[in-house]
Amino acid sequence: MTDSAILSGVDLRKSYGPLEVLKGVSFAVHPGEFVCLVGKSGCGKTTLLSILSGLEKPTTGKVSLDGKDITDSSEDELALFRRENVGFIFQSFNLIPTLSAWENVALPLFPMKISPQQQRQRATDMLQRMELDHRMEHLPSALSGGEKQRVAIARALVNRPKIIFADEPTGNLDSATGEAIMSILHRLNDEEDVAVLMVTHEADLAKTADRLIRMKDGEIVS
Amino acid sequence: MNFRYMAKELYYQRRRSIIAAVGLSIGIALLIILNALSIAYRQAAQIPLKEIGADITVQRAGDVPEELSGAVFPCSAVTIKDSEVKKLAELPGIQGIGKALLLWVFDPDRAWIVLGIERDNQVGPSVLQYSVTEGRFIRSGQAEALVEVAYARQFGIQVGDRVSISGSEFPVVGLVDASRATKIAVANVYLPLKEAQRLAVESKQLQSVSPYAAEDVNLLFIKADQGRIAALSSSMKGILGDRAAIATPDSFLKLLGSLFALSDKFTLAASLIAIIVAILIAFKTMAGNIAERAKEIGVLKAVGWTNRNVALQLMGESIVQCFVGGVLGFIIAIIVSYGLSFISVSIPIPWEMSPTPHFLPGGGDQVYKTLQLPVTVPWSLAAGSVLLSVVIGGMTGGLLARHIARIKPSEVLRHD
Repeated sequence: MTDSAILSGVDLRKSYGPLEVLKGVSFAVHPGEFVCLVGKSGCGKTTLLSILSGLEKPTTGKVSLDGKDITDSSEDELALFRRENVGFIFQSFNLIPTLSAWENVALPLFPMKISPQQQRQRATDMLQRMELDHRMEHLPSALSGGEKQRVAIARALVNRPKIIFADEPTGNLDSATGEAIMSILHRLNDEEDVAVLMVTHEADLAKTADRLIRMKDGEIVS
Repeated sequence: MNFRYMAKELYYQRRRSIIAAVGLSIGIALLIILNALSIAYRQAAQIPLKEIGADITVQRAGDVPEELSGAVFPCSAVTIKDSEVKKLAELPGIQGIGKALLLWVFDPDRAWIVLGIERDNQVGPSVLQYSVTEGRFIRSGQAEALVEVAYARQFGIQVGDRVSISGSEFPVVGLVDASRATKIAVANVYLPLKEAQRLAVESKQLQSVSPYAAEDVNLLFIKADQGRIAALSSSMKGILGDRAAIATPDSFLKLLGSLFALSDKFTLAASLIAIIVAILIAFKTMAGNIAERAKEIGVLKAVGWTNRNVALQLMGESIVQCFVGGVLGFIIAIIVSYGLSFISVSIPIPWEMSPTPHFLPGGGDQVYKTLQLPVTVPWSLAAGSVLLSVVIGGMTGGLLARHIARIKPSEVLRHD
């Protein structure tokens, strides 16, 4: 199951004190695959996403990302790994309020040894693909919800990741805007061959994925 | 460290930036002002001696003459032998010695305070030449007198008159406003040292109280290496004995009575408090900044910033805020120091340093040297304080790096 996977988790368990949130989850995402993780609130979806993306460590189990075992990596090693391989999209966009749209997109590039001109060029290219080139200099406060999420998607893609982790990316958007965002994600998935692992509790959106994984009480049920 | 990000954060969060900078500026301003005041009091304490062209004055206390007639020594200034002066001149750190002879002369019709001075010695009362208001200064080798202007007015003495002092006549060649120059060793009449020494040698009354030879004196004005004044003071006591009265800037500093004047420790303690206040303000601001921006820090880490990247970014912001605070503190200190420079301080001059017979008019009055406190902010202090504020900025950033490391993106981004 894991040989060709871009991302895999084996027997992942996570406990917070006596509370066991993940109960031995094994899981894989293959290159270019669009996977949706669904389940009720509190079932462990976000915890699983955090562990698979290297934001959190499992209590036991093993995580491999792009063939590299990241389970025992240090926090800084994981940060560097994420910088080069992973993109994130959050429900509430998480844009930096003091930075313009293009600067938010370039945020993952700031610590990299890339000239400011190149950083701006790459951010501009991404915003053009999101049809936001006319909003480049705007602060997040001047953008609509859909525009903010498109900026967040551009930020997730600017480091040319192999996989994007999306945690309820349409949760704060109206249905029309949500559909537009999903359409962008599918287009990127097709065109860029970037894998997408998306957490959602909206069944209609989940149906558009290549694969659907249901979770319940810290376990994968189907 | 991304300068664009830093500049935007500081600009858009300017309320927070301004509060941090202003808070720190108060600590830095306090530090500069305290030290500027301390320096000002030290400089003020040097002025009474500098005005008489010296860093140290030396006298020796003696006995009160049994009979006040003819030329006598005041009890605060008896013989310092020429051999002792030569020993003092050999002490390391002595740059020059000006000799003088202070006499009280009780003539049948008038009492004089006479000071014999070395006309051509740059150290000591030759500075009086700049305070001549009428006539001219005394010439080398001439038996001439210079009369203090208030005394001359009181007794109707004019330039060109001849005055009789202890049986010797002197032409008055000039009037001098000694109060313009100094409050130390102020006399009614100034004679060449040789003439005063002659009067002393000839006075039986004086010789009976304090044996005196032709080259001896009773008042020394000394220029010395500033860093060695304290050590010299004790060395001089070793040569002249316990009755030596040695006045230094430190002794005037004590007379000033201010907390700043009394103790270096006070300035040091107050400066430390100011620095601690500045550090606490910077620390609190930075800690608040981290707490307020936990989610932002979580995002940075999630998109691939290492703890070091985040810490450097926040440290950069802290350094800039603290630098602005330091410069602002410097400006505040300059303004406050300017205001403080209008403060007048009065330095009491001990009677012994400018002895006047108590039974003469004004003889028992306390003499003060009043001057404006010379408060200025030295560039070294200003530059040091601004540099310190930058160090505080960097230090707080470094100290709080652990707090940054503790922020887990999965926790702060979980409940979107």
